[in-house]
Amino acid sequence: MWVDLIITLAKILFILAILVGFFAPVLTWVERKQSALMQDRVGANRADILGFTVLGLFHIIADAVKMFTKEDFIPDGANKVLHTISPVIALVPALLTFAVVPFGGQYTLFDKEVNLVISDLDVGLLFVFAIASLATYGYVIAGWSSNNNWSLLGSMRTASQMISYEVTIGLTIIGVLMVYGSMKLTEIGAIQENFWMWGIFLQPLGFFMFLTASIAENKRIPFDAPEAESELVAGYFTEYSGLKFGMFFMAEFIEIVTIGALMTILFLGAWHIPFLTTATLLSWFDFLGTTGSNLVVMFIHVGVFFAKVVFFVYLQMIIRWTLPRFRYDQIMKLGWKILLPLSLANILVTGLVILALN
Amino acid sequence: MAYYVNRNIKMTWWERSYIPEILKGMLLTSRRFFHNLFGFVPFFLGTTKERPIMTVYYPEEQVQYPIAYRGRPVLAQNEDGMPACVACGLCEIACPAYCIHIEPAEDSGKQNQYERWPEVFDIDYAICIFCGNCEEACPEEAIFMSDDCEISMLDRKQMLYTKEQLLVPVADLQKRIEFTRNMYAKWNY
Amino acid sequence: MELLIFYPLAGFCVVLALGVVLNNSPVGSAISLIGMMLGLAGIFVLQQAHFLAILQIIIYAGAIMVLFMFVIMLLNLKEGDDTGWIARERNLLLSVLTGLLAVGILYKISGILFTAEMDTPAILPDSFGTVATIGETLFTDFVLPFEVASILLLAAMVGAVVLAKTKLD
Repeated sequence: MWVDLIITLAKILFILAILVGFFAPVLTWVERKQSALMQDRVGANRADILGFTVLGLFHIIADAVKMFTKEDFIPDGANKVLHTISPVIALVPALLTFAVVPFGGQYTLFDKEVNLVISDLDVGLLFVFAIASLATYGYVIAGWSSNNNWSLLGSMRTASQMISYEVTIGLTIIGVLMVYGSMKLTEIGAIQENFWMWGIFLQPLGFFMFLTASIAENKRIPFDAPEAESELVAGYFTEYSGLKFGMFFMAEFIEIVTIGALMTILFLGAWHIPFLTTATLLSWFDFLGTTGSNLVVMFIHVGVFFAKVVFFVYLQMIIRWTLPRFRYDQIMKLGWKILLPLSLANILVTGLVILALN
Repeated sequence: MAYYVNRNIKMTWWERSYIPEILKGMLLTSRRFFHNLFGFVPFFLGTTKERPIMTVYYPEEQVQYPIAYRGRPVLAQNEDGMPACVACGLCEIACPAYCIHIEPAEDSGKQNQYERWPEVFDIDYAICIFCGNCEEACPEEAIFMSDDCEISMLDRKQMLYTKEQLLVPVADLQKRIEFTRNMYAKWNY
Repeated sequence: MELLIFYPLAGFCVVLALGVVLNNSPVGSAISLIGMMLGLAGIFVLQQAHFLAILQIIIYAGAIMVLFMFVIMLLNLKEGDDTGWIARERNLLLSVLTGLLAVGILYKISGILFTAEMDTPAILPDSFGTVATIGETLFTDFVLPFEVASILLLAAMVGAVVLAKTKLD
């Protein structure tokens, strides 16, 4: 009982540390530096401690100090309660999704089965979808409670865009669970030990549609009409400053990681290395005993998983700094007229193929 | 609703999906990214002198502005210390923002004496729009646009420059003088 | 242990449900309703119906209420600007129907209260409430209602498209 509790707490701490402590701050630096390198610039490198700049990594600290010390501003005529809680509503779903995302397989440590997932829900995939749909409220309420026309327009765009692309995400997920026959993310990950069972081979169309729709869900370029700087000032978070703004920002960066993790688990073989089963890996490190070999394999798997996540993060950053913004009607057209029929067709073809193979 | 432009371009189904163009764009940006990322390696090893970075570290490094650049207007100062200006007031009239204020002073105009010169010559850079009309209007080659654009102050009153602050030796302005001669040759006598 | 979670959750739901009715501003009502849905989902989880809880969140809290909020914001109703509410209060037919509904629910609850044994909870099989069991039940015992419901939904969808189409033309 106590051991289980401690293990669960350790997993939660690990996820929180890696998301809030590592990915969210480092990604702000990565986004600046990567965009700079892509555009033949130097990028952020001015913040220094005792003359050392360390490639601009101190900008993270400078950002944090800035956000903590800025004035916490609530505009006149705004709904104070909702204005205050909406960043929290936006941030919590981004963190909560990771409750069902496994970041490794199952290992025997000290005669105990350890499953590297915080909560292995039977409805894991649907849980992810449900949480993603709840994230809309943070943005919608933020825009409405700010008492600002730009914010309201931004939140209207957010609501319509997120509803539209949730449909695509849901239908793409159905294709995936038809193939794997399970909604447990751990089971989906375990099946992909076989290289040819990777989701990207079984659902190639689903892969691209899920990537597109989830970037649209995250409201990043090319789907950033809700926060379009040149049209709506900053969209729904126009009236936010200091740490509240920081929470919106953090939600966006954590969601990048969440999308990367989901893509990895659903389509890119989760924590597995191609052509290398867990049993083979375990036999390589047999000389370390059961616990030792399991530990080594666990670290390898977690490393591989996060390497794949970093690849997807890189892909999203490249997309963000390459493509121009879609017009609002183009976003709606893409969502309803192209992605929705395609995802329905994807389900139909998947069903037909499964029927033919059985 | 959005306004659609009929460009009369026939695209195939594959082109209209925009996937090849998106991939091309992403390839281009990631090629630049990796090129610059691993550009650090030879830079630190010393095999190449510079990384292919287009930008400069601004306050430490500065770029040479082209001679046609219009920075803050300055007054030309003759070798004997007097301004070349004769206080005719043409620049005051030509100025669309009314930022120039001149009060003339005059003497008898005998030999080796100045006949007219400005007693007060103020330019308020908080109002100036850097159009260059004063330079164009000046018949005496006395006012010129310099390449200095760093005139930010913490107080607006400090942005009102007096004659002493404006004077620049004519030797420093030779390039700009030549440029204006070419530029406004039609009107200069 | 279960009761320790159940009573706060149930109280939360009741308070928010009252908030939906008594709130002055439409947005406040909508937000209370969302909170109520989430609390209800929590109670479903407590009853081992995970799938139902998730569906509650996806469909009601995630999809329908977002549309509600969207419409409320589109109309931009202000606090106290409640012409719609007044119309609802004076509607006799609606009041009678709601009263009938309330009486029916109370009758059903009282029936359960007097017949069911409260202290011995039923022993559930492991597969209770899982996706597989629910899917199997839906496609074997309840296949006719399921198909009828899907046809109804399809009809509603086609109707919505037709309505939108005529408006555009």
